[in-house]
Amino acid sequence: MALTEVQVSSSAVVADETAPTRTRAWLRKLHIGVPAGLLLLIFFACFVLPLVAPIPKPTGGDILNSLQPAFTPGHILGTDDNGNDILARILVGGRTSLFVALTVNLLGLVIGGGLGALAAQAGGIVDSIIMRLFDVLIAIPSLALIVAVSLSLGPGVRNTILTLSFFSVPAFARISRAETLRLREQPFMVAARLSGTSTWRIVVRHLAPNIGPQLMTFAMLGLGIVMVIEGALSFLGLGIRPPAPSWGNMIFQGQLSLSGTPMLVVWPSIALFLTVVGFNQLGEAVRLRWSGR
Amino acid sequence: MSEAVLKVENLHVRFEVAGYRVHAVNGLSYQLRAGRTLAIVGESGSGKTVSSRALMGLLPPNATVSGSARIGSVELVGLPEEDMRRHRGADLAMVFQDPTRSLNPTMRIGTQITEAIRAHTRVEPAAAKRRALELLSLVRIPDPNRRFHQYPHQLSGGMRQRVMIAIALAADPKVLIADEATTALDVTTQAQIMELLAELRSRLGTAIILISHDLGLAASYADDVIVMYAGRAVEYAPTRILFAQMRMPYTRALFDAIPRLERESHTLLPVTPGQPPDLTALPAGCPFEPRCPRARPECRDSRPPFVEHEVGHWWACWNPCKDGEQLMTELGV
Amino acid sequence: MSDVATTSPAPRVFSAVLGSPALRLIVKRLLTAIPILLGVSILMFVLLNLIPGSAALQLLGPEATPEQIARLEHDMGLDRPPVERYLEWLWNALQGDLGRSLVSRQPVTDVLPTRLAVTGELVALAFLISLTVAIPLALLAARRPNRFLDRVSMVVSTAGLSVANYVLALLLVLLFAVKLGWFPAIGYTPVSKGLGDNLYSLALPAFAMAFPLLCFYTRFLRGDLVDQMQGEDYVMTARAKGLGPWQVLLRHAFRNSSFGLITIVGLNISGLIGATVIIESIFSLPGIGQYLLQGILTRDYIVVQAIVIIFAIITVLANLMADVLYAVLDPRIRYGTN
Repeated sequence: MALTEVQVSSSAVVADETAPTRTRAWLRKLHIGVPAGLLLLIFFACFVLPLVAPIPKPTGGDILNSLQPAFTPGHILGTDDNGNDILARILVGGRTSLFVALTVNLLGLVIGGGLGALAAQAGGIVDSIIMRLFDVLIAIPSLALIVAVSLSLGPGVRNTILTLSFFSVPAFARISRAETLRLREQPFMVAARLSGTSTWRIVVRHLAPNIGPQLMTFAMLGLGIVMVIEGALSFLGLGIRPPAPSWGNMIFQGQLSLSGTPMLVVWPSIALFLTVVGFNQLGEAVRLRWSGR
Repeated sequence: MSEAVLKVENLHVRFEVAGYRVHAVNGLSYQLRAGRTLAIVGESGSGKTVSSRALMGLLPPNATVSGSARIGSVELVGLPEEDMRRHRGADLAMVFQDPTRSLNPTMRIGTQITEAIRAHTRVEPAAAKRRALELLSLVRIPDPNRRFHQYPHQLSGGMRQRVMIAIALAADPKVLIADEATTALDVTTQAQIMELLAELRSRLGTAIILISHDLGLAASYADDVIVMYAGRAVEYAPTRILFAQMRMPYTRALFDAIPRLERESHTLLPVTPGQPPDLTALPAGCPFEPRCPRARPECRDSRPPFVEHEVGHWWACWNPCKDGEQLMTELGV
Repeated sequence: MSDVATTSPAPRVFSAVLGSPALRLIVKRLLTAIPILLGVSILMFVLLNLIPGSAALQLLGPEATPEQIARLEHDMGLDRPPVERYLEWLWNALQGDLGRSLVSRQPVTDVLPTRLAVTGELVALAFLISLTVAIPLALLAARRPNRFLDRVSMVVSTAGLSVANYVLALLLVLLFAVKLGWFPAIGYTPVSKGLGDNLYSLALPAFAMAFPLLCFYTRFLRGDLVDQMQGEDYVMTARAKGLGPWQVLLRHAFRNSSFGLITIVGLNISGLIGATVIIESIFSLPGIGQYLLQGILTRDYIVVQAIVIIFAIITVLANLMADVLYAVLDPRIRYGTN
């Protein structure tokens, strides 16, 4: 409820300004900056560091070297029960998990987003058929579906990506369809249709730029979600299989010696948590930025 | 002349918004007598709504109120929230602009009325219901028994506003503030609601404050009129006197801008050019000066004081309109 | 303007439900649910037939010869054409026979009641815990927005949503079972052996499931309450009546928020059931989540088919219930508009 209309303009008389303005602008930058910085750090650590820094290999460790505590020379975070360096496994596992999450969301964005928008634009039978198909997928609780699909497709990076797409594509399709439907009724869209603009042009010039931001935000939040689900899948032995590291299967392996060496679970958990927090916060901050202004 | 029910003296309201101080109300003073209707007229941003919300303590936390507003012997400015609550509804009540949004859509209207009753008196549900039904009859809602159990969306706009009036009257307030209460209604309903308010005023002796941007409304239904501009009162007089002779050029401009049938068709509506001043940066002189056709050099240098220049007629202007003068010709229309 | 024809002064919920809108909604949704459930069963059947290595292989182990596998597959009926197997399954399922587990030979429907009871109790406890904490917390936070309690609870709930439930489960086990020994790490005690022990055995898993819900509900409710308190005109009216802040918060804002909350709770049921797959595994609880996982790991496609269908049915019913409840509770929908 606006009680007054404030025209903050420059006038001959000096405006009555209070101090908090500048701090608030700064805080807004931090809101995006901090999670972005955190994620950059994580990406750097997982993708670049293993290539340039002298980090031991994540697999093929000596079993006689197992369960070394942190700060052992050569193993900053210690080793796991197979003698593999934990830090290396976290970094390389992170690389795999991040790669999977990014690809899955990209597939979801492109395929799911595209199909959803198509369904909404086309309407009628096409819409019904497409959405019915997705409804079938959505009717099954996500984790159950993923677990069942992974059974058919098998483990491994490529198959895990395909499996998780069964989750991301319907999710994106739903959002994309809802947003497109909402946009269709806006005056500028109606005008474009009525003036005979070709469908392709409508999609590229009008639709995409307007649903794009929402889908991107959803993708960012989705990155966190997919990382957790991939972790769950690997945790259950169905996603990325050892010896290849993934934060999920590291947590599972650590579970076996939980009482004795809890850090085997804690380190990958922290890595997962920080990454998911980063994605969630960034997604939130971006969403606020795009909708608040 | 009846005793003043509400005395407002030198009211100031300031907001802190996004690092700026907005001076919404700057030294407003008036008196309201029992059984009289006072219209506060002004455009958006003049401070008319803010000043009344300040009386009821309904401003957001970033507002600072200073000055005095006494109802009876109680000083409302600076009153702690718990005490203020006892006066809201019981001494001062408000009817808001949009009855669709001002009523809770998921609560039956009967409950919304009894809630107002029971906020101030300990009564049993049955007694509260009886009183609520009385109030519904008072505001002329047909078939009150049925309406009592209905939800707001089942009523028309005019009826919803009547319900709002019933809610406002529930605890027998001395002052009823109608904040643009008819703006959201169509013209016929508007007239009905205004008639209702007039009738209630004479039956119950409630004093009414009519807040509006519509000078015509004030002319038809108010006993006294205050015109506000940039948070200040710029003219104040009993209605007859004001409309017989408007002194402050702004009042004149407002009056001239009302569309009228008698005017020749296809002539330009005499709208005053420009915008109200930036409330974060008020000038030292008269705030209307940049837009005023009668402006003189002294108008920019110092602010004209709000003084009772003629009996019962106050204004703040260095170069007021003289008797019989037409503002329209001065605008070149 | 015509009024809605309400003849009795206080229409009861019952007649409102039987009146057109809600009933039509239910029937329509149930009708659309049927093809969806059929689709689910077909999808699962297709997927499960793509599995490399059948249940027979699983049972016999990697040392089995191809002939042994073929013979067991024949015994299990796995060598018949898929369409025939599907239709047979469907026919039986519609009569309530979900088949026998390939691994244990037990009829699935025999095992279901006890397992459903375990999962049901777990899910119910999770909702109970999450709502019991979230509602008061959100109310307190919304009462004084942007003050200490509000900021702290928002930060914690936001962070809490970033924690994977299996991670949380393990950390809970680490802290409360291993280090402190307050709760059991695994195992389930049925109610018949004592309610106290039963709740005790479900405490950690229920909390692991409840925590993300708790965070979500707190954030949602607090946001909705604050939006109303700061943005809605009827809140101003309520204050103008002279009502105190708690009265306004509870009688007006919370009342309206509760509809959204109920809908969300209904929609969450599906996700929660999915979560049982992993939580029941970690804590060794004999519920349907664990049953599904076992079925998957042993390639027992009968079990997987059955459980997934049941999951889908629960999801559809839960979503339907959420929508119906909303229609019944929101008076604008219940009584229609002018």
